[in-house]
Amino acid sequence: MKKKCTLKMVLYELRNLNGNLMPHFFGIIFPNLMCVLLPRTVASGLPTEIRQEVTNSIVLSMAIVIPLSIMFLGYGAVYSQEVERGIPLRMRLFGYEEKSAIMAKVFAHLILLTIAFVIFAVFQMTVTKVSVPAFSSFLCLVVSLYLIGVILLVISHALANLFKRFSVVFGLEMGLYFFIIILCGMMGVKTSALPNVLQKIAAVFPMTYIANEFVDFWQGGAYQFMPFIQSFLFMGAIAGILLIFSLYKDKRAVK
Amino acid sequence: MLLTIKQMQVKYGNQTALRIHEPITFEKGERIGVIGSNGAGKTTLVNALLGLVPYEGRVVTQLKPEQMAVHMQHNEYVTTVPVKCIMETILNTKIKEDKRLQELISFFDFEDCLRKRFNALSGGQKQKFTIIMVMMQKAELTFYDEVTSGLDFETRQKLVEKLVEWYRDKDDTLVIISHYYEELEQMADKLLILDQGRVIAYGKKEELFETYCGKSVFVMENTPENQKLSQEIKMLKLTNHQLALSCKDDREEEELAAVLIKNNVDFKRSHSDIELIFVNAREQFYKKQGGVEA
Repeated sequence: MKKKCTLKMVLYELRNLNGNLMPHFFGIIFPNLMCVLLPRTVASGLPTEIRQEVTNSIVLSMAIVIPLSIMFLGYGAVYSQEVERGIPLRMRLFGYEEKSAIMAKVFAHLILLTIAFVIFAVFQMTVTKVSVPAFSSFLCLVVSLYLIGVILLVISHALANLFKRFSVVFGLEMGLYFFIIILCGMMGVKTSALPNVLQKIAAVFPMTYIANEFVDFWQGGAYQFMPFIQSFLFMGAIAGILLIFSLYKDKRAVK
Repeated sequence: MLLTIKQMQVKYGNQTALRIHEPITFEKGERIGVIGSNGAGKTTLVNALLGLVPYEGRVVTQLKPEQMAVHMQHNEYVTTVPVKCIMETILNTKIKEDKRLQELISFFDFEDCLRKRFNALSGGQKQKFTIIMVMMQKAELTFYDEVTSGLDFETRQKLVEKLVEWYRDKDDTLVIISHYYEELEQMADKLLILDQGRVIAYGKKEELFETYCGKSVFVMENTPENQKLSQEIKMLKLTNHQLALSCKDDREEEELAAVLIKNNVDFKRSHSDIELIFVNAREQFYKKQGGVEA
């Protein structure tokens, strides 16, 4: 009988995830640290009345680094090493359906993501003093970040399955990570300040809208969601295609 | 019948890695040793039966791939948690509540390793870990693919002794792949001989010995004196420094023994020797094919 995803499997994956400190550093320590440092450097020369807005903007940008680090970079680093060493195959031969094993990994990563979000929220409210958001804006941000996280994890999983080598997957994901955080305006340069071509590429990432536009309705107000939703659909479709292609390439000959 | 392989062909690109024309059947409780040089198709056969590589032909069985257990040549696990955690998670059990698992851990002297991480285990301990996990699967058919590869002589011997002891009086069906003749002598009662992706021979050890070697074989040093003494006896193929003489019946055996003793020749008599079966089955196979082996 094929084994299903159990709570034991999820806890095992969580312990496995905690054995690698990279997602913890990039997903928890790094964004919180940046939220302390950046307002002091970037916002120090700005007029007092816009400092709070800049701080809010930095906090929103850094919130996106959390799913990028945990669900994309962290998952890719852990899973590609396992693929390279044949661990998923070994699990399959012990009767674990690939789907069950991946579900356990997804839940474990979602738990770590939630812990990272809680730490981030508490830290921002107490140390960085970010403005208290409108409930609808906060809800919108949280849902978006979880969705981005899941999509990024799917892409990361597909890349690991396709390339099967840690060095290739990690190199590629590191490159994409920095490309995305620069392109989406998370490194201090607004997307609107980038060349036209790069702005068009940035528009397909939902992260761009969170980093550049969410600050406008952080404490309430109207927002045109259509481009943001379209970017989600586009990134979701890319993730789905990559996943199906990677599973097709990797499928067991006899079921 | 547990499983029958019919007309199987496995290809990697344009290269045929395995071709099986005559049906091969594994019966319940059999211990089948698979032997062959590198590239013979041994692991390819296991991978095909497990559904890990596509193949042409048919495998007639009620078993699903997940009902077969396998100890692969290389078995890797995460190194971020102790092996106890891996064991309990994969087997979905608790050591303290599982009598069979406790028995296996104790049988393989694995208690002290449970708190270690997989990368901190020695080669032998790593093999033991997978063996315990594989045995816990209680599968109808279990494959051991070069279970002792990479181990030193002593560890290898001890591990095989443990396996033999564990499976004694049990009716598990085992397929044991090995390059070591002595391991198969201890563990297998049938042999599947493969070479360059082809089946050279398949059958019970005793039957194959009689077919390819005779009733008994005398092995001695290959010297001109010994060659002269054995001129009229059928010679088998073995290593260059050894002579292997085949006896077809008791009378021939007694006569040869008498001659060797009289001439003070050191010899070894055997009526079941996998190395002899392997070498001579291969020799005869290629002779029948009318060509030389590649």
